[in-house]
Amino acid sequence: MIAARALYRDFISTFGNVLFAVTLFIVWGLLTLIGVVVEQGQDPNSYLESYAAPIARAILRLNFDNVYHSPWYVGIIALILLSLAVCTFKRVIPARLPPLRPVSVEKIPLHASFEAEEDAAAVRDRLESFFTARGWRMRQRSFGGTEWSFADKHNWARRGVLVAHAGFVIIAAGTTLYWARGFSGEMAVLRGETSEVARTRALIRLDDFAYSIAPIMTKSGMVYQPTDYVSRVTVTGNDGVPKAMTVRVNHPIDVDGTLYYQASYGFGMRFLVTRHGKPETALSQRTFLEGDSFDLPGTQRSIVYERFAPTVDKQSGMPTADPRVNDPAVVLAVSQAGNALGEVLVPLRSWIDLGDGWRVVPQRYVLYSGFQYRNDPGVPLVGIGAFVLLAGLIISFYFLPARIYVRIEEAGAHRSRVGAAATTVKGYDVFESEFSRLVLSLGREMELRPSVE
Amino acid sequence: MPLDEALIAVALSAYTLGAVALLIYFFSRAPWLRDVGIPLAILGCAAQFAQLIARFELTHVWPLLNLYGSLSLFSAMSVAIYIGFAFRYKSWFAGGFVLALAAIFLAYGVTWYEGTMPPVPSLQSYWAKIHVPIVVSSYAAFLVAFVFSCIYLLKYYAQPAKTGGPIAVWLAALPSLPQLDVIVYRAIAIGLPLISIGIITGAMWAKEAWGAYWQWDPKETAALFSWIIYLAYMHLHTRHAWRGLRTNWVSVIGFVSIIFCYLGVNIWISGLHSYKV
Repeated sequence: MIAARALYRDFISTFGNVLFAVTLFIVWGLLTLIGVVVEQGQDPNSYLESYAAPIARAILRLNFDNVYHSPWYVGIIALILLSLAVCTFKRVIPARLPPLRPVSVEKIPLHASFEAEEDAAAVRDRLESFFTARGWRMRQRSFGGTEWSFADKHNWARRGVLVAHAGFVIIAAGTTLYWARGFSGEMAVLRGETSEVARTRALIRLDDFAYSIAPIMTKSGMVYQPTDYVSRVTVTGNDGVPKAMTVRVNHPIDVDGTLYYQASYGFGMRFLVTRHGKPETALSQRTFLEGDSFDLPGTQRSIVYERFAPTVDKQSGMPTADPRVNDPAVVLAVSQAGNALGEVLVPLRSWIDLGDGWRVVPQRYVLYSGFQYRNDPGVPLVGIGAFVLLAGLIISFYFLPARIYVRIEEAGAHRSRVGAAATTVKGYDVFESEFSRLVLSLGREMELRPSVE
Repeated sequence: MPLDEALIAVALSAYTLGAVALLIYFFSRAPWLRDVGIPLAILGCAAQFAQLIARFELTHVWPLLNLYGSLSLFSAMSVAIYIGFAFRYKSWFAGGFVLALAAIFLAYGVTWYEGTMPPVPSLQSYWAKIHVPIVVSSYAAFLVAFVFSCIYLLKYYAQPAKTGGPIAVWLAALPSLPQLDVIVYRAIAIGLPLISIGIITGAMWAKEAWGAYWQWDPKETAALFSWIIYLAYMHLHTRHAWRGLRTNWVSVIGFVSIIFCYLGVNIWISGLHSYKV
């Protein structure tokens, strides 16, 4: 029991320590930086090609190839949340205003002394008016015959840290909600065809897709700048009613709470596949997307439709950078029994002989539009959390809770001695200039002789 | 010469001359150098904002969609924020460094000028007018903090070694270490909320453009890395023992991360924000 209590105390003292939290931030930052520098989500072989073998193996073994979803990253976020919770409940929430008790004014770095030609009660009343007019909350107490006034400002801002911490927790809750209940995916829809979204059963028919490219001559050469992608779709949601909609980048559509975004586009290809002049019907009626492959029946040969080359330079016979369709061709990768034989550039409506009587002719291309869809029930929470976090930051930075202790002592007939000292939650230096201005104003308005040190 | 290019030339010249004047002022404290440097700083800053407006009017394309435009705003905002701090805290002694850095970044930005290009579809959004200026302004605030942190560290390390002579006199003319620390804190107090707003607005834009508010893109995570550093700064600054030397080193490291986030990621790493060819 005693050991458990000691363990609990150690846990609270460690996790409630600001330096421990900062250490966690450093680890979190380093893991984040690893993800910036090491390309994420690549094939393991690419790390072996890009880095020295020991580094590549370390990257893969430590899950640095997918660091943001690694146990380290999730774990450090969990530790930060735990530290945040302990700090919040053990330090932030219990934090009280400093008690209304006398202090050694001269020992506080920000202090000033005055002489007044009035008795203490009159000085106290005028001080109250002075500070109240400037937005300070005043309270008076008497200790051992000496009058004390306590002026407080922005006390509510002591909760700025609590607000910021709450924002962080709300964001974490929102992302957890997406992880638990949300979904996302991608789909490519060929022009004129309909695809069903498996998760939502929504039907999306791509009626038309258009894109525009602007060629611009720069000092680095010709640049082909895409300027617009538009998908005109007919969408059928849960209500069963088809609706015509337009999807553009930055203008997603909402279908039963799932958002669909214009993500990409590409060129599907119809091939005429023949053997000894006779069409292979199954392959010839299919539309292949870039990256799709097909096997030649009766052989160990497979063909990958690598990519579409919209424009081929007539002189060199090589694809150009121009993404507009002028003299298109396709790049096919051919392999035999799993061994790559090479790639070949085949212009549209030209044939390539693949042996054993097989020929492939890229006949026509079909545009497809790539959509991303996402259903994220956590978005409202993340949004609220972000703004709460921001509010907490602004409160913490721009509203400085401060306390001014004012001691008023009788110093003879109709004479008083006033001592004032200021404390804040952010140290004395931040408040120094404001305290100096207050003291100068105090001296001017109350005809006191101030001294600021 | 087109108007916007002429205004860039004016800004560059003003920053260069102003930097020279205020750098010499930093050492000599001759008031006339400050009186030369201040108008040059203001002139350069005004010329830069005029250039951005002129470019927008001429091309009808939001000028901050590439490194040329955003570096131009970065320089302008660095000088603008510094001018505000200089008037408030009488800290013209730091102007030479700020103007020199502004001139360097502006000159580097000019090398990225490729003429006017229509924006790609993902940049055709009102968020470009919100997210980009806010983020660039946060970078500018961190630059100002960085300069004052460097001066803090210079004074901190040079002061004990120089107990007499002209250098000691010169060091004593600089504000006290706590005063410099307050200036750095106040600059970061502008930068950290701004970068937070920048990350939030970037997430909102990403959600509209790409479907997800956070995709662990290198630019997003680099910005998060910088945000974490300044978050650590804020937490450390609450501790009396850590305020001062250590937090100013954090401020310097933070600005290095900002440059990596702003330029390194955009230029060297492929991603959604990439200028990498």
